[in-house]
Amino acid sequence: MSMLLQCLVDSILLGGLYSLMAVGLSLGFGVTRIINFAYGEFIMLGAYGAFFCSSLAGIDPLIALPAVAIGVALFAAIVFEFSLRRVLRAPAINQILLLFGVGLVIQNLAAILWTGDARSVETPYSLTAREFGDINVPDGRIVTFLVATVLIAALLWWLHRTELGRAIRAVAQNRDAAVLMGINVMRMYLLSFMLNAALGAATGAMASFLLTVTPFMGFPMLIKSFAIVVLGGLGSIPGTLAGAFLLAFAETAVAYYVPDGIGWAEGVAFAVLLGVLIFRPRGILGQAVEVA
Amino acid sequence: MILATLVAAASVPTHAQDTVKIGAPLELSGRFVAYGAQGKRGIEMALAAHGDMAAGKKIEVLYRDVQSNNQVALTAFTDLVQQEKVNFVVGPIASGIVAASVPAWREGKPLWLVPGSSSTQLEDAMKGETLFFHTYPWAYNYHENAAAAIAQAAGTGKKVVIVYSDGGYGREQLPWAKEFYTKAGFNVVATELVREGAADLNPVLQRLRQLRPDVLVGIVQTTDGIQLAKQIQVAGLKVPYLVGTAYPQLKEWADAVGPEAADKWIGITTYLPGMTRPADPNLPKLFPAMSDWETAFRARYHREPEFLDVTSYTTAMLLLVAIDQAGTTDKNAVARKLASLDIMTMLGSSKFHPTAGGAVHQAFSKMIVFQRQGDKFVTVYPNDVANGKLMPRQ
Repeated sequence: MSMLLQCLVDSILLGGLYSLMAVGLSLGFGVTRIINFAYGEFIMLGAYGAFFCSSLAGIDPLIALPAVAIGVALFAAIVFEFSLRRVLRAPAINQILLLFGVGLVIQNLAAILWTGDARSVETPYSLTAREFGDINVPDGRIVTFLVATVLIAALLWWLHRTELGRAIRAVAQNRDAAVLMGINVMRMYLLSFMLNAALGAATGAMASFLLTVTPFMGFPMLIKSFAIVVLGGLGSIPGTLAGAFLLAFAETAVAYYVPDGIGWAEGVAFAVLLGVLIFRPRGILGQAVEVA
Repeated sequence: MILATLVAAASVPTHAQDTVKIGAPLELSGRFVAYGAQGKRGIEMALAAHGDMAAGKKIEVLYRDVQSNNQVALTAFTDLVQQEKVNFVVGPIASGIVAASVPAWREGKPLWLVPGSSSTQLEDAMKGETLFFHTYPWAYNYHENAAAAIAQAAGTGKKVVIVYSDGGYGREQLPWAKEFYTKAGFNVVATELVREGAADLNPVLQRLRQLRPDVLVGIVQTTDGIQLAKQIQVAGLKVPYLVGTAYPQLKEWADAVGPEAADKWIGITTYLPGMTRPADPNLPKLFPAMSDWETAFRARYHREPEFLDVTSYTTAMLLLVAIDQAGTTDKNAVARKLASLDIMTMLGSSKFHPTAGGAVHQAFSKMIVFQRQGDKFVTVYPNDVANGKLMPRQ
């Protein structure tokens, strides 16, 4: 029984991290219809930002998070202006290849500047846990879950309650109608790309004390985020949240209850993804997209 | 015009004959960049200490970045062998990358020194090859020594669990770990697979908690070793002896996991910062005392040396000395000289010997077992170099 409860707790906490990780990618795709293949590198930059704030200035990743997110968002704005803007009307494959290339450049620059050494941030809560009977609840994962909850709630509030948020949603729903309503679509694209990067950086700041920080940490996180977004439904934030928790539950359950399960966990997760693509291609809560 | 062409054509081989070309395919970018960087530093330092002439010829080291990628390694090695016609190669280091280079090596069979790769698949692939020199321990050397050290300190009959990664590194070492811990009198009660780069190892740790193991052996690479150590600390797993194969000696690992989580981890290595080794009596400038070499390294690179810095320096220097003493760049003559060297290096005697697995030339397979006790490394095995006792983790 305690194993089942532990499995549930681990799943929920992992779901928090996955939600934060995937929601930025989902938002970016929802608005621009471009899958940001450099997203993993924005996560990595956020992780390094938090790491250097901690190691050089003793600033806790939670305190550093706003500055790190803004810094990476500004960097994303530069990437947008100098590269992505030029291919917005190009075929999807051009956009994917461009962003994939940008990601590789960032990754290799990070390896040159900061070496390939593995790093991690030590905080007062990263190596402690709460015990409830036999149930172990790591403080670092509670913190991550809370941060994810606050950031996603703030994002949803902003999208639904502010003029800019509504403008972004309008572009996501119907770009032509948004243009007719006088919305500056290019500005919304830029804003959503920056938000995408900021959320990636926030994930990186959390990962800086939960996981191992290396220049190469981004790609596996991109792949998992992509799987979650497809699972939930491309462009749907509620769907992404559902996908994140479904994936976390599937991975954790397999890890607990299948022999050598942690090695199988990701395989099973992608099997779930494959099943969704076959039987419900639009994802759990995604909308059908008409292809011209 | 014709004369100029003839002169140019004649000058190419002359120039080539005046040069000793050493290929150095290394992981200078990508996930194993830390290995490649150490390899390059070691070779650079060896050249600086030796001077850039060997056997009366100028040494030219051809560095190639294999990008931690098997296909790139194969291409780079092929280029060195077939285009550059090198007679000598040092590197690469990571097991998978070295394995990927074997087919290219077979095309020209230069004298090949490998200062890394503990993979016994490589040992098997290079069985009987007289031009292959391995200067790093094999996988079984780790477990043979660690199991003996823990058996000596804690007694036999204890429960051992093994956590191994799903990559080649973990899968290949697992049988050796099971064999040597069993031979040493332990009961291996569980083996747990973990995925490389997994975000959460808690399911494995919670399962292992129920077995109440006495020894946990983590056969994973450094990044996963960081995750493992941190999550063991967070989970409050009470295991008296924690063993890591390739990471507890690394500053990188200790910095990442923090002093509390790193404390009492047991590691197996060929080099520890601060260990003492005397200079070779005949070649003290090329093979200095460990402390002198460390001082020179710090002055040159402004950082602490790592184990592959030492291994790569020693390997490259052995090659340079063998070329010097052979007085030729003929690879077979240099190989014979290299095989006969007996120099006191920072890793111990350089005497190459055959292995039970079939490798013809193996050096430096004796390893030391140490434990992190606070901010100190305490060598606990073998007894002739031990400076402290193994302590159980509270």
